[in-house]
Amino acid sequence: MNKLFYLSAAALALAAGSAQAQDKTLTISVYAFAQDEFKEIVYDPFEAQCGCKLVVETGNSVERLAKMEANKANPVIDMAVVSMADALSAARSDLTETIDTSKLSNYDKLYDIAKDPNGDGMSVGYTFYATSIAYRTDKVKIESWADLLKDDVVSHVAFPNVTTNQGPPALYMLGQALGADTPDLKAAIEAVGEKKDEIVTFYVKSSQLVQLMQQEEIWAAPIGRFSWAPFTKLDLPIGWATPKEGQTGGMNVMILAKGSKNQDLAHEFMDFWLSTEVQTKLAEALVDSPANSEVVVSDEVAGNITYGEETAKSLKLIPSDVALDNRDAWLSEWNAKVGQ
Amino acid sequence: MFQNRTEALALALPAAVFAALVFVVPVVLLLSEGFKSADQWTLSAYVDFFSQSLNRTVFLRTLKLGALVTLAAAVIGYATAYAIVSLPPGAKGKMIGLVVLPLMISPVARTYAWIVILGRTGIVNQALMAVGLTDEPFRILFTETAVFIGLLQLFLPLMVISLISALENLPRDAVPAARVLGANWFQVFWKVILPLTREGLVVGGTLVFTGSMTAYITPAILGGSKVLMLETLLYQQVTVANNFVSASVIAFILIVMSFAANILLKRIATARNRT
Repeated sequence: MNKLFYLSAAALALAAGSAQAQDKTLTISVYAFAQDEFKEIVYDPFEAQCGCKLVVETGNSVERLAKMEANKANPVIDMAVVSMADALSAARSDLTETIDTSKLSNYDKLYDIAKDPNGDGMSVGYTFYATSIAYRTDKVKIESWADLLKDDVVSHVAFPNVTTNQGPPALYMLGQALGADTPDLKAAIEAVGEKKDEIVTFYVKSSQLVQLMQQEEIWAAPIGRFSWAPFTKLDLPIGWATPKEGQTGGMNVMILAKGSKNQDLAHEFMDFWLSTEVQTKLAEALVDSPANSEVVVSDEVAGNITYGEETAKSLKLIPSDVALDNRDAWLSEWNAKVGQ
Repeated sequence: MFQNRTEALALALPAAVFAALVFVVPVVLLLSEGFKSADQWTLSAYVDFFSQSLNRTVFLRTLKLGALVTLAAAVIGYATAYAIVSLPPGAKGKMIGLVVLPLMISPVARTYAWIVILGRTGIVNQALMAVGLTDEPFRILFTETAVFIGLLQLFLPLMVISLISALENLPRDAVPAARVLGANWFQVFWKVILPLTREGLVVGGTLVFTGSMTAYITPAILGGSKVLMLETLLYQQVTVANNFVSASVIAFILIVMSFAANILLKRIATARNRT
């Protein structure tokens, strides 16, 4: 009888506990990529830790930001991950709240570039990537971004479209190589426009490039480090260029939605995601390069991601305000010079 | 068939309500976006759209490729359909099966296959170089030619099937009679076959033209952003620019062009019939 009593009491307590846990819900908005890995490495362990329910909304950044704007008065999302420039855009639209870094125990472990990328206290970087040029080492020599437009190379180049995340950084570095370092990217867009008929394609999805490289349709393409791994599996001599102007790249950041009713939980989740353990697992699964400087990975993993303090320091990122203030102008300049 | 009209209408009602709720209403809502500006009805979105030279180029390219694919499909389709109809029944069934076969394969797989075939190291370029027609491989991928080939391959079966069913209804003696009376093959086609199979041509032509105008995967993969078509531009407007007004304008243009093609083809067919 006693046994039965304790058992029922335990069951009751468990039920009450889980009912309470279900009351706590955190809604996050993330990129749609690698969700199986994120569920296993981040979402499920966090739910177990906080005893709460995680609602995950996915989509591209345009859709997700549009949704946050539409629900401004009554926010649905508690935290989101977006690009640096989109974070500034959200901050300017008054959609974000200052992140209380004192609640993030892992904050001090982050590389400096990830700490407060936009300088407004509204975002924290959780991953970054280098952008450089993947190229056939037996066919061409790439020592500068300007080499992409050389006569014997250009007809075997796939260049990122300006609408992709890789487009503006690649143009930015091309501009530097051409000696025209202006935020409007005019010189670089014009140089690409002059060679538009020779360039094989202006790609939108980097996944397509592996096939084009395999078919020898292209010999060189600017890509983000996150799409590098499949190239190494091709039985071809493909190298990662280290152009003399340096590498560029991008960073993704976490933001806190203004008016979120679960700010403590959102901070707890951010801290969990930034922890050495979670960042290491994400790096080992080749999902995201770590922004946490304490992450240590094998040489093999390091070769496939953007890793290490030196790399982090050397990345020439486009400042968010430059990207944001010029985005429309870049697109119309591109459409005029390259798009038709 | 039915005792009264009410009974027939009652049977059609569920389908009609379903179509109205999940198709007509959303389409009208979506398209109305393009005619509104600050709660006023206006055509300014259309004026804006056509004032940009990129949009005009894309519009004309879509129209041109749609027309060329339809024309090529009609020419090849008539020859193929006529050859198939003339076969004995057993062989005819097999050939129709072969024509339909590509329709059972996903357009994504079919289009990806074209990347391999049309590439610099693909069989087309290899064959051209082997017979000495060129020393350097041609650039076919990511050009209008590639999109044309991809679309033609995608929609040709629809034209062939429409023309086979039309040709099967052609009276068996019509062609021999015309030949006996001294008509050459061109006259036979122009004065006998074409007028008698116009319905098939209108159905096939509308399917091919509408399909070519609205296909997304083929122009996206084989043309990329160098060969923008209205449908790839529409996608860009929604996902990159978040510009639903412009997307609604493009959607409306595509619908109007599809209807216009159907009306035009019917006109052409009946005009031929009168001569």
